[in-house]
Amino acid sequence: MEQPSKINNNEKSIQQGFSPSGCGDLISTRKFTALVVDNDPICQIIEKAILESQGVETQFVGSGIDALDLLVTGANFDIIIIAWVLPMMNGVETTRQVRAMGIRSKLLAVTACFDERKKKAFLDAGVDEFIEKPLNPKKVASIMREMKND
Amino acid sequence: MDRNKQHRQVALMRQSLFDQGLLDEQFVQLEELQDDANPNFVEEVVTLFYRDSARLILNIDQALDKSPLDFAKLDGYMHQFKGSASSIGAKKVKSECTLFREYCKAGNGEGCKRTFQQLKKEYALLRKKLETYFQLARQVGPVETACRRI
Repeated sequence: MEQPSKINNNEKSIQQGFSPSGCGDLISTRKFTALVVDNDPICQIIEKAILESQGVETQFVGSGIDALDLLVTGANFDIIIIAWVLPMMNGVETTRQVRAMGIRSKLLAVTACFDERKKKAFLDAGVDEFIEKPLNPKKVASIMREMKND
Repeated sequence: MDRNKQHRQVALMRQSLFDQGLLDEQFVQLEELQDDANPNFVEEVVTLFYRDSARLILNIDQALDKSPLDFAKLDGYMHQFKGSASSIGAKKVKSECTLFREYCKAGNGEGCKRTFQQLKKEYALLRKKLETYFQLARQVGPVETACRRI
C-alpha cells in the first residue's frame, strides 16, 4: 500500500488504515476484550455498554471468585474492571489474587466513594488506575487511546 | 400539537431535569450510548435502577429501625446505592448518599435518618419526572440529543 503523504487529511489516512499523524503507523485493528467484576447489576450493564461502545468485547461477573474461576480457565482480557464492594472477597483481595496469577491485564479499580485509603489499598494490590464511579465513556475512550498507542 | 412543538416540549422537559440539578453529565453520556440497536437504553437502565434499588431502600429502612444502629452495615448499603445512582446520573440522589455516608462515619443516627428521608424524596421525585419524560419522548419519537446544553 502506498504510504500517504504527510499532508493527507485525517479521514483519508484512517480509511487507508494509517494513523492520521502521517508517520505511516498502522492503526490497531485488534479487538480488545474486557471483564467487569461488579455485583451491582446497573453498573454491570452500564460499564459493559460503555466498553462495547468503544469496540471492546465485554463480559461481566458478579464476584471476585467468579472472576478468578474464569481467569483460571485461560480466558484473557486486555482490561479488567474491579469494584471495591464484592461478595465474599473484596475488590482489593481480588486484585491481589489476579496479579498473583501472573495476569498483566490493565486493571482498573472503580468505586462509588473515593478515599485515599481505598486508593492506596487498590494501588498496592496492583491496579493500574483507580477511578471513582461512574465510569464514563470519555474516561474509557482515553484509556483505549493509550492502550492502542502502546 | 404539531411535531416540532412536541419535540420542543420534550427538549425543554429534558433540560429542566438538568437545570433543577436532578441529573448530571453522566445521563448525557448514557444517552450517547443509544443507537438504532438500543434506542431505549437509558429508559431501560433507569427502569432497572428503580427496580433493583427498591431492595436496597428496604434494607436501609429496616437497618435504620434497629437499635443500636449498625453504621458499618448502613454505610455498606449506601455505598452500593451511591454507585448505581451515580451511574445513571442521578445528581441529587447521589449527593444525599454522600451526606448519609458522612453521618454514618460520624455515628450520627439522627442525621442518617433525616438524610435518608430526603434521599427517598429526591429518588421518588426523579422517578416521577423521568417516567413523564420517557413517556412523552416515546410518544413523539426519537429526539435529537445533539443539543447538549446542560
